[in-house]
Amino acid sequence: MQNAVVAVLALLIAVALPLADAQNAYAIPAFSRQCRTECSTCHTLFPELNEYGQAFLKNGYVYANKQAGEKAGEAATPSGKASPGQMQAGSKEKIKGLLLSGIPKWIPLSASVNQSLSYNDHAPDGDHWHFTTRDVVLQAGGSFLDQVGFYATGNIYVHDSSSSQNGPNRLDELFLVWRRILGAPVNIKFGKFEPKLSLWKKSDKVIANSFATSAFKVGNSPFSLQSTQDALEANAVVADRLFMAAGMVDQHGEIGKDAYGHLSYRIGGADFLGNEPEVDLEKESVWDYLSMTLAVYGYKGFNKDPFGSGNGNNFYRIGGDLDILYKRARLRFSCVSGEDSNSGFIFPKTERNPLVVATEAEYYFGSPAKVAGLFRYEYQNDGTGVVRRYIPAIAYIPLQNINLALSYMHEDQPQSINRQLLLDVTLSF
Amino acid sequence: MRKLLPAILILCLFSTAAQAGLTVVGKGDNMRFDPSAFPPAMKSAYEIMKVRCIKCHTLERTVVAITTGIAPISGQPFDRKATKAYGVKMLRKPDSNMNRQEIKVTVDLMNYLLDEAAR
Repeated sequence: MQNAVVAVLALLIAVALPLADAQNAYAIPAFSRQCRTECSTCHTLFPELNEYGQAFLKNGYVYANKQAGEKAGEAATPSGKASPGQMQAGSKEKIKGLLLSGIPKWIPLSASVNQSLSYNDHAPDGDHWHFTTRDVVLQAGGSFLDQVGFYATGNIYVHDSSSSQNGPNRLDELFLVWRRILGAPVNIKFGKFEPKLSLWKKSDKVIANSFATSAFKVGNSPFSLQSTQDALEANAVVADRLFMAAGMVDQHGEIGKDAYGHLSYRIGGADFLGNEPEVDLEKESVWDYLSMTLAVYGYKGFNKDPFGSGNGNNFYRIGGDLDILYKRARLRFSCVSGEDSNSGFIFPKTERNPLVVATEAEYYFGSPAKVAGLFRYEYQNDGTGVVRRYIPAIAYIPLQNINLALSYMHEDQPQSINRQLLLDVTLSF
Repeated sequence: MRKLLPAILILCLFSTAAQAGLTVVGKGDNMRFDPSAFPPAMKSAYEIMKVRCIKCHTLERTVVAITTGIAPISGQPFDRKATKAYGVKMLRKPDSNMNRQEIKVTVDLMNYLLDEAAR
């Protein structure tokens, strides 16, 4: 078996090595195609978002300063006389697509494939090594005339249905964002999506392992911060650097039982609309490179008893995130606590008070960046015991749409210590 | 003259129309400025631009932005305020590998090119 693993590893390395020197690689998923730009515009290292990717996301999949319906080619030029040849190469292509009743010029579809090779010394089935095609996900995203953004992801294939809350062949996300509704700086988001709680979406990371603060669940409750839910959300960027979101979630036809709110503020760096800060190019300052984003959020909800006994679970979560970027170094800190009145759905009720903390330090190598080294520490107390995880990892992005991540997880559980090695390959096209 | 005429015709084929003070050569991904008429300081700045900027995108994007006055991806006006903002963006971009001096001369170059394009 070990020989087979070595052979697979050698094959993966052999496939990856020729990609190492690839130049001018342009990835082509849906947003990249629609906006005619490379993946690195929004991702320093795919799929982790940079400031511009975050601004694009917050503004309903439109470049933030673009007004609804604005066409690139109609903006004033300094000379007032752009040459036809150059216009053909740039904005004229956009205009044609925009003029055609808002339908994107490119079919806004892309797909991601994730495969992994893993070693788990406490594998439940006794097989320590697994080589798995974990999932194939179809994505759609873009905007109609910059007025309505849309995004959808659906699982075409999921290897282990028990690991996916939505199961295979199910829609994971599908929502519309009505941008700047009635001229106000407010976006209305409607559909199935991750309610805006944490600073980071579940895909906003370079390794496969989710942050414990987003992924943890308490007892039999299906709720986690990164669960997608049917929801209605209003969000707005206020004074360029404050982002506010509030929404309610439909839980089994009981709209209004679940509600949430989020506030985040950025100090330094580009603001939430993607505008650069004022920097004096004549003088060096630490503040020119430093960006700090702070977030607080809360969620109050209710889980119906899936067993029908009537013993539901009232719960809440309160959390905070901090994201610091300085040149090539990034530090993320996340903390969430809460209370579940009856997450076991049993009688008599057992109250639990979860507390989960995660922190990650990351450093980018290369120009353009192709490698990130990181270390993550997680502390998870769901009310029944404490789990600590130590995760060193390295991610290599040979092309802008391919991510190879090697991570090791040392998981210190109350009854045992688990060790897991994971080589994860994600391809998006 | 018989040899010169075809050469001029071929040269015309590979040159695109440009602003009064700027010469643009090539098409699509190969589009770039002809720096032969630039002042010496701008020529050396162009050497930096054509090495650093193409690490992430082609020079076509810069040429289109300068000659049309519109940033082709964002659709925003590309003026002196924008050149400074793009300079700051590249200074802060974790993997641009451009130092302050390189940023400054590149911003100066883009401003010079904008002025030439407006002539």
